[in-house]
Amino acid sequence: MSDIQHTNTVAAASAKLVVDSVTKRFSLGKGREVQAIADASFIVDENEICTILGSSGCGKSTILRMMAGLERPTTGELRLDGSVITGPDKERGMVFQAYTSFDWLTVRGNVEYGMRINGVPKPERRARTQKFIDLVNLGGFEDAYPSQLSGGMKQRVAIARTLANDPALLLMDEPFGALDAETRWHMQELLVGIAETANTTMVMVTHDIEEAIYLGDKIVFMSSHPGRVHKIIVPEFKQGKRYKSKEEVIGLDGYGVLEKEIMRMMQEQGANDER
Amino acid sequence: MTNSSNRAAPTPWFQLRKPVSSKQSILSAIFIWALFFAVWEGVSLAGLVNDLLVPAPHTVLTTLVDMLVNRGLVSDILISVWRVVFSFSIACAVAIPLGVAMGAFPAIEAVFNPFVSAWRYLPAPSFIPILLMWFGTGETPKLVLLVIGVVFFLITIIMDHTREVRTELVETGLTLGGKRWTIVRTIILPAVLPHVLTAMRQMLAVTWTYLVIAEIVASTTGVGAMMMRARRFLHTDEIMAGIIVIGVLGLCFDILFRRAHRWFFPYIQDRRN
Ligand SMILES: Nc1ncnc2c1ncn2[C@@H]1O[C@H](COP(=O)(O)OP(=O)(O)O)[C@@H](O)[C@H]1O
Ligand SMILES: [Mg+2]
Repeated sequence: MSDIQHTNTVAAASAKLVVDSVTKRFSLGKGREVQAIADASFIVDENEICTILGSSGCGKSTILRMMAGLERPTTGELRLDGSVITGPDKERGMVFQAYTSFDWLTVRGNVEYGMRINGVPKPERRARTQKFIDLVNLGGFEDAYPSQLSGGMKQRVAIARTLANDPALLLMDEPFGALDAETRWHMQELLVGIAETANTTMVMVTHDIEEAIYLGDKIVFMSSHPGRVHKIIVPEFKQGKRYKSKEEVIGLDGYGVLEKEIMRMMQEQGANDER
Repeated sequence: MTNSSNRAAPTPWFQLRKPVSSKQSILSAIFIWALFFAVWEGVSLAGLVNDLLVPAPHTVLTTLVDMLVNRGLVSDILISVWRVVFSFSIACAVAIPLGVAMGAFPAIEAVFNPFVSAWRYLPAPSFIPILLMWFGTGETPKLVLLVIGVVFFLITIIMDHTREVRTELVETGLTLGGKRWTIVRTIILPAVLPHVLTAMRQMLAVTWTYLVIAEIVASTTGVGAMMMRARRFLHTDEIMAGIIVIGVLGLCFDILFRRAHRWFFPYIQDRRN
């Protein structure tokens, strides 16, 4: 257990998002409780893509939902740009695994929704809407309804809708989890391009090791029962670069090494859980 | 070889759980009604029934046309339709905002639901005597009966559908910067509206039921009252004409609502066609 890296207080000058000694217990009624998160601390830097990796039930969604302000931590706090997160806000946009397209709006209506309720003037709204529709390669589908789109296209609408609202933080909870393998691959590569253009800090939850390594500038590896930050991994072999091609990353020497290490940690986890 | 080719569907119009073509469904509908009227006509012509009690369909149709053209049935129909439309509009004006608010905010539900769900179990016709005492024999008691007959069911159905709007949609709205009422107006309401229209379609049929009860019990105008008048003079053909009119009116409103559904919610793909 020597490789658990967490300190009780985290304060870094460059930190965009700070998760500071956070615990979360859910009440199950009749006085029973479940400890979803036990003392998690880590930071996410400005413009970083941070992936949160861990087996199912280890508390990934709970942490992300606390970042969004959809759940409150039991103890500890989360800070964005130094101010404590107390509730949901347009600064922290969230993309869910389940499709959340507004079926009654066209693709254009969906993407401009956030700007509309936040009172962005129409000309600017129209321009930004088009920009983000193009960014997620949905040009030509502006007037289509979500029911006419494939799963991957619906998730691209959700990403464009969130980004067009100009959040400081883009939160994604297994956004490609429901997609088939090939579409997922395309979406991951697309996301790297989006990160380059949109200049947004991203936190993405996944249980897919490949996805976590390919996309993550930093990987927060979590262990379960109760959920903890087990290890914070910076994939050094990528040398701080982002690659448009996933194949290229998987082909790098360091990739296999890191993948094996993470798999080993996951297996240890599984063994611990069974005890 | 021959066996396998023999197994290829010999009757394409009669398959397990395969949707039928629209032509086949229209023909089938015509068939069952034609059969019904043919049997009825046949039984009447053969003298198997007392034609004072069961007039032949052609007699009923002739009477119906005569009543429409010469005997003021149209004004009875208009009065009945007006009662239904007016009282149903009032019921919707109350039920839609309240049902959506109750489904969206548990705090509002906690106040109104104990009240609404109790009223639902009181059969509306049991209020007829007291309504007649309070409001006399004018339009009011009928309209009130129709409203209390459907409004509580409408509220409950709309509330249930509103509760079922997926949490992720609401949370998406929250992380896009939506305030509570903005989300109710721009996400919850549009998400639930198709279900509201369906609920309206179903409850309008119930309104017709109460209308006929109200007009039979306490009215001198409207289709129901016309049928009660006819009973006094043993005019079974007129009673049956009245039944047909009510059926056709119900069907028309149903078609109207289906059209409206397609018109207002073009994004919902029609799986049948
Ligand atoms: N609203 C809730 N009420 C009770 N328990 C919850 C709630 N949300 C999550 N949990 C529990 O917290 C733990 C972590 O859940 P979650 O964050 O969804 O895990 P993950 O996303 O990693 O699969 C699980 O044991 C789950 O059952
Ligand atoms: Mg999860």
